[in-house]
Amino acid sequence: MTPAARATSLTKVYGSGDTRVTALDAVDCEIAAGRFTAIMGPSGSGKSTLMHCLAGLDSVTSGQVWIGDTELSTLSDKALTRLRRDSVGFVFQAFNLVPTLTALENITLPLDIAGRRPDRGWLDTVVDTVGLRDRLGHRPSELSGGQQQRVACARALASRPTIVFADEPTGNLDSRSGAEVLGFLRRSVDEFGQTIVMVTHDPGAASYSDRVLFLADGRIVDEMASPTADSVLERMKAFEAARA
Amino acid sequence: MLRAALRSLLQHKLRLSLTLLAVVVGVAFVAGTYIFTDSLKRSFDALFEAPQPDVIVTVDAPDFGGGGPDAAPRETPTLPQSYIADVAAVDGVAAAYGLVSGDGAIVIDSDGMVVGAAGPPARGTTWIPDEAISPLTLVDGRGPQGPDEVALLESTAEAAGVEVGGRVRLETNGGSVEPLVVGVVTRGVSGSDGSTLAVFDLPTAQRLLLDSEPVVTGIQVRADEGVSQDVLAQRITAALPEDVRVQTGQQRSADIAERLEEAFQFINTFLLAFAFIALFVAVFLIYNTFSMLIAQRTRELALLRAVGASRGQVRRSVLLEALVLGILAAGIGLVGGVLVSRGLTLLLRAFGADLPSGPLVLEPRTVMVSLVVGVVVTLVSAYVPARRAAVVPPVAAMRDEVSLPNRSLWVRTGLGAVLLVVAVLTARAGLASVDDGERAASLAGVSALAALVAVIALAPVAGRGVLWVLGAPFSGSVVGRLARENGRRNPRRTAATASALAIGLALMTTIGVIAASTKASVATVIDDTIGADFVVFGAKFQPFVPDVYQAVKDTPGTAAVTFVRQVPITVDEEQSVLTGVEVAAFPLVVDFEMQSGSFADMALGDAVVDDATAETLGLEVGDRVEGTFVNGEAPLRLIGVYTAAGPYVGFVTGINTLSSIGSRELDSAVYVRVADGADPATVRTDLEAELAAFPAVELQDQASLKEQVNGQFDRVFGFIYALLALAVVVAFIGIVNTLALSVHERRREVGLLRAVGTSRPQVRRMVVLEAVLISVFGAALGVALGVVYGALLQRVLEPQGITELAIPTGQIWMFLALAVVGGLLAALWPAITASRLDVLRAIATE
Repeated sequence: MTPAARATSLTKVYGSGDTRVTALDAVDCEIAAGRFTAIMGPSGSGKSTLMHCLAGLDSVTSGQVWIGDTELSTLSDKALTRLRRDSVGFVFQAFNLVPTLTALENITLPLDIAGRRPDRGWLDTVVDTVGLRDRLGHRPSELSGGQQQRVACARALASRPTIVFADEPTGNLDSRSGAEVLGFLRRSVDEFGQTIVMVTHDPGAASYSDRVLFLADGRIVDEMASPTADSVLERMKAFEAARA
Repeated sequence: MLRAALRSLLQHKLRLSLTLLAVVVGVAFVAGTYIFTDSLKRSFDALFEAPQPDVIVTVDAPDFGGGGPDAAPRETPTLPQSYIADVAAVDGVAAAYGLVSGDGAIVIDSDGMVVGAAGPPARGTTWIPDEAISPLTLVDGRGPQGPDEVALLESTAEAAGVEVGGRVRLETNGGSVEPLVVGVVTRGVSGSDGSTLAVFDLPTAQRLLLDSEPVVTGIQVRADEGVSQDVLAQRITAALPEDVRVQTGQQRSADIAERLEEAFQFINTFLLAFAFIALFVAVFLIYNTFSMLIAQRTRELALLRAVGASRGQVRRSVLLEALVLGILAAGIGLVGGVLVSRGLTLLLRAFGADLPSGPLVLEPRTVMVSLVVGVVVTLVSAYVPARRAAVVPPVAAMRDEVSLPNRSLWVRTGLGAVLLVVAVLTARAGLASVDDGERAASLAGVSALAALVAVIALAPVAGRGVLWVLGAPFSGSVVGRLARENGRRNPRRTAATASALAIGLALMTTIGVIAASTKASVATVIDDTIGADFVVFGAKFQPFVPDVYQAVKDTPGTAAVTFVRQVPITVDEEQSVLTGVEVAAFPLVVDFEMQSGSFADMALGDAVVDDATAETLGLEVGDRVEGTFVNGEAPLRLIGVYTAAGPYVGFVTGINTLSSIGSRELDSAVYVRVADGADPATVRTDLEAELAAFPAVELQDQASLKEQVNGQFDRVFGFIYALLALAVVVAFIGIVNTLALSVHERRREVGLLRAVGTSRPQVRRMVVLEAVLISVFGAALGVALGVVYGALLQRVLEPQGITELAIPTGQIWMFLALAVVGGLLAALWPAITASRLDVLRAIATE
């Protein structure tokens, strides 16, 4: 089975000369389709950069990135935009929603931009899964933080993308709201076969995933299947110790 | 705090530079107005440096008429020539020269065309062969001597294309002549108002300009060495009869200076009005910019408060920014004023005024006014945002998402509603008192002002609804919906931006309605009153020789031909005009409506008068009217009252009565009715052929008359449009600024839209559409206000002759189209900026 996304020798360098920073150093990875992958690592490890490069939000310095069968480095801005619109879903840490649109309009935003009619049945399924049916006509400012993130998740799924990227989706939430969001992401993998990549530094959040990639100093240093919060925390501590 | 304020200015230099531009444009307009009028004034100084007579003797009576095309014909009172000898005999008089000066020497160029603009007079005067007192100086050749010589003013000679040694054709009151040009003279002031000047020796001037007895219009005196002007004036006064006016040269200079000062004051005030309109519009822009900058800096301000800055300090720091901005803008504006002053000169030239050129004059007053205006305008506009900045609570620094509380619009809306009621009530009161022109005008003014403020106050509430409707056609797409919601989400900001445009367009539309109504009214007057097929008028509104009448009468195919002759008349100190007509033919060519009495019964010494003049003077049929004329008095018996209509006002009498009073043998107009069965086109061709010998008259029909009048109005209104355009430009700068700030404020949102797949063209469309919606909203407000107040003004001006209301629909659509195009252009740069936003940087949390 083709992976949902993959990278080979992915290198990302910021700046030049004295301020040159290698954020990603020849990273090779594969994101298996229909699985929930977490990317973990301490601040500055390059985990967000990896996600941005995989998602086509950022250009790569060298190496190659595929989403499905599409290689990203040769794509124009226009083609990348279309790829993001049609094949990728996003959930950011904050500021996920357009304040002038209602919850429902936010959910269908990528479809509306593309000028596509949403699949009603699928939309109902997604809306019911996130449990926001009675809040659809509300503006983001009338929703709680957890509800806002659930709307963002619904939006990410609404267009049935090849892959969903979530960047610290629970970073700004209290633990109960965070658990709801993570539970929803988990269900979308289990029930709908959605591929999800989540960047987090919270071992608890990582425990919802099928597989954890550990990043440090721009390299993938380890991975773990079927993680639990404790096992992840232990592994992280081990890295900290090794670095010190 | 000073450093914090300066640093914050530098950080937002791009957006501030747009605000700066708005203040600069306003200040530059103010400074430019002052520089322009000061420079113009200075260029007239040469008038006072030129030599002048020590004493001038004229008739002790005001100049008759001459107030403009609609006013009475110009005619200058005269003195007997024998007075020259009397003056010369006075002790202390070195020399006394007779002067004949007046209208009636139309210069014709080699193509047979009248030289100079249509309105200003074609003057003739006498050469004073005395360098010490002649205000005219030779620049080429010599002074004219004898019946076949003339000197021309430099600008006249240039326009006519003749030089010393050539001949020039002149159509004068004394007939057509073609004298030798022997000299070119100057008054020391370059440029011209479109008038022309031909200079003759005294007998020639008498023959050509007055066509009458040996009389003069004035006597110019040079004093003996050591005799003061005042002393000499007293002696001359004593030596002459009482009905003369004796003035010293200094007095005359002072009089002229005063008149010029009044004229300049008028020009200055007129132009400043437009400058302040532009500044008023700029206030909205500055207010918006500061509000938005403060909204964006809430956190920074809260941090300042958290570390101990007082509210006063925060407020002062914002005001300090405004102060620095104001000083900077005033400085640049002052420099810009030089450009504006040049621009005004070019603009006036483009509209037909040939202004004298001279050095630019920058008075200290100009610098002061510019500085004060720039700083005050900026501070006033920034005051409310500064106060709002001061209430940011320190805790806002710690919050993640911060926004200033959106204060309720209730107070503002309530105030707007009250003002709207005031506007309606004053408008109704104004309409009710149309007969009292001044009262109606001031009520209309109050109403307009109240309505303007009401519209500005109500714009935020109205804007949400109007934008919803305007955006409806685009709401099918998410881009259209986003654009519409972006315009609606901050009603105050949208309202301020749109109001700025509304002000400029409201004024333009009002002018447009008045312009269209004036033209329509003139057309109606021409339709209603001129029953003639053709009318012959003199060029520059000057009367012409009776030969023209004869030529027209001799043309085959003409049935009724009549001429009218006009002289100024004063009755009970009211100036009016006495028109002499051929009693039998006149009603055939002019639609004349008698209210009482019979026109046909007119006998020698009888006259009729229009209803308005009859009311002013309290005259009734049968009254004896004591008329004062240029050179005497004569009674008239009133036998009827007619309805004043268009060009026919004042007293009308038979030609024989006019001749008995002693009018000049010069006609003001010749009316022609084509004979039954004759082809008008053929008659026209024949008339044109006959009149080719008289280049100083114009053959008009109703259509060409309307065209000519419309052309004159178009120039006046065009000039006003050009001045108002600056305010509209400032308003569009405001749209650029608002959008640029909005895009900056919403960069994360734009980043999000881009991340989830919105293409760059879609982002651009979104911003452009928002701009167009705001700009059309503003334009619609302005146009609506303009149409309402244009119509109101027309009603108020009805007694002044603007009897028809015409709404220039084409022009209004053009304004709306202009708003769309302007909105598109204004959005260009913010839209490109928005579409180029770095997605990652925009969505990055910190």
